[in-house]
Amino acid sequence: MVEILIIGGGATGLMTAYSLLRRGVRDVAVFDASYPAGGSTGRCASGIRASFTSKEHVVLMREAIKLWRSYSEGDLGRAGLKFHQSGYVWVSFSEEGVDTFRELVKLHNSLGVRTEVLGPDALKELVPPARTEGVAGIMVDREAGKACPFETVFALITVLRRHGIEVRYHTRVTGIAVRSGRVSGAFVEGRGLVEAEKVLVAAGPSSRDVLKPLGVEIPVKNMPRHALITEPYRPAFNPLVIEWDVPGVPYIVQTDEGAFYIAREIEEEPEEPLTSQRIDFMPKALKPLTRLFPWLRNVRVLRYWLGYYSVTPDHHPILGPVEGVEGLYIAAGFSGHGYMMSPVTGEVMAGWMLDGKPPIPEAGRLTLERFERGELIRERAIVG
Amino acid sequence: MRRSGHPAIVCRCRDVTVDDVLKAIDEGCEDLECLKRRLGIGMGPCQGRTCIPIALSILARKLGKRPEELALPTFRAPIIPLPAALILKSLDARDGEGEEGR
Repeated sequence: MVEILIIGGGATGLMTAYSLLRRGVRDVAVFDASYPAGGSTGRCASGIRASFTSKEHVVLMREAIKLWRSYSEGDLGRAGLKFHQSGYVWVSFSEEGVDTFRELVKLHNSLGVRTEVLGPDALKELVPPARTEGVAGIMVDREAGKACPFETVFALITVLRRHGIEVRYHTRVTGIAVRSGRVSGAFVEGRGLVEAEKVLVAAGPSSRDVLKPLGVEIPVKNMPRHALITEPYRPAFNPLVIEWDVPGVPYIVQTDEGAFYIAREIEEEPEEPLTSQRIDFMPKALKPLTRLFPWLRNVRVLRYWLGYYSVTPDHHPILGPVEGVEGLYIAAGFSGHGYMMSPVTGEVMAGWMLDGKPPIPEAGRLTLERFERGELIRERAIVG
Repeated sequence: MRRSGHPAIVCRCRDVTVDDVLKAIDEGCEDLECLKRRLGIGMGPCQGRTCIPIALSILARKLGKRPEELALPTFRAPIIPLPAALILKSLDARDGEGEEGR
């Protein structure tokens, strides 16, 4: 018997357990079917930013960044979590792109996120090895940053276990138990029914399948996304650099170890298995970036892999309780932004589970019911 | 495991020692996928050619299992580090456009 059972030991599940711990709730168990960082968390780009296009995303990510910073200075930091406030640089090759940047900056600034639009010279300053030819302008988000997902996950596991919270991997939850409209626990492989007052589904791309037997349908499509990493090189630049007006929005970031992480959206079918490799992704991701970084031709590509974006119709996550099943909560469908949002997701879900409401009003609009009511989240700035 | 003053290296790409592997196993990393993400073994330029067999034997001994009972981590394309210039040529061939032509 536990108070709260969390399905999924990725960034979302672990950060929620950590937020509960901060609130003094230790009667929590986390179960994950795979190994640590074996799902979307371990496959992600590690970028963290508040420069988004909807009020909800900007506000939540702004709060997430505050938490990333304070967590990296506290017990999680001592256990290995590092947050580098190294910034994001959005590059546009067209005047239309720069106009969009100006609209976005207005939105960000009005919500306390200090982005700015600058000229090509600033690119040279922020990203010295970039060629500025053809660059119309850039949008700079200096408060954005990056955090290694592996270090984050292991720091969380260490701190949670130190406080006696059960965090177990290779332990699949086979079903959620519901008795007369109320959650009674979950069936855990090798353990049988583990009774719980509340159950949180934070199982990333598997969340849909975990919920389906209960008749709870979440409108999520799992889109395969691809990424590659190069051999490590000496530090060249700090920010994550995105080519805003190139189709598939290619981006590049140098990791702590010095490797270049490169990604770009390519045409894909939802639910394609993660074993379906697309070797054509590698040249397609590299080529547009050689415009800014001609020297990329000389780097060596080490590894290429896939992960899912669990995408909802309005590209915002599903956060909160499920109407009709008391004690059941969802944190899923992050549409590619679950890792960066995870510290604030933890606070939001802890609020829902302990107080019956989230600590941030904007998060209250993100429940599953919005899709039934047709109250989808709107983009406040016209993008693209 | 440390018989002299010098640490025994498991992974030359990331300077991971035998002691690092033993400590990670003690902290609950009991499979190679976990050790890979905890220590970075198998993620360096050698793609695990040196470190994975060594880590596998340490893990097997520690768990009292035979190495063949343990699962290997996923190996990712392109297996050996490939120059980006070479990868870009494959796109040029399919698109029929010269890489320098843009």
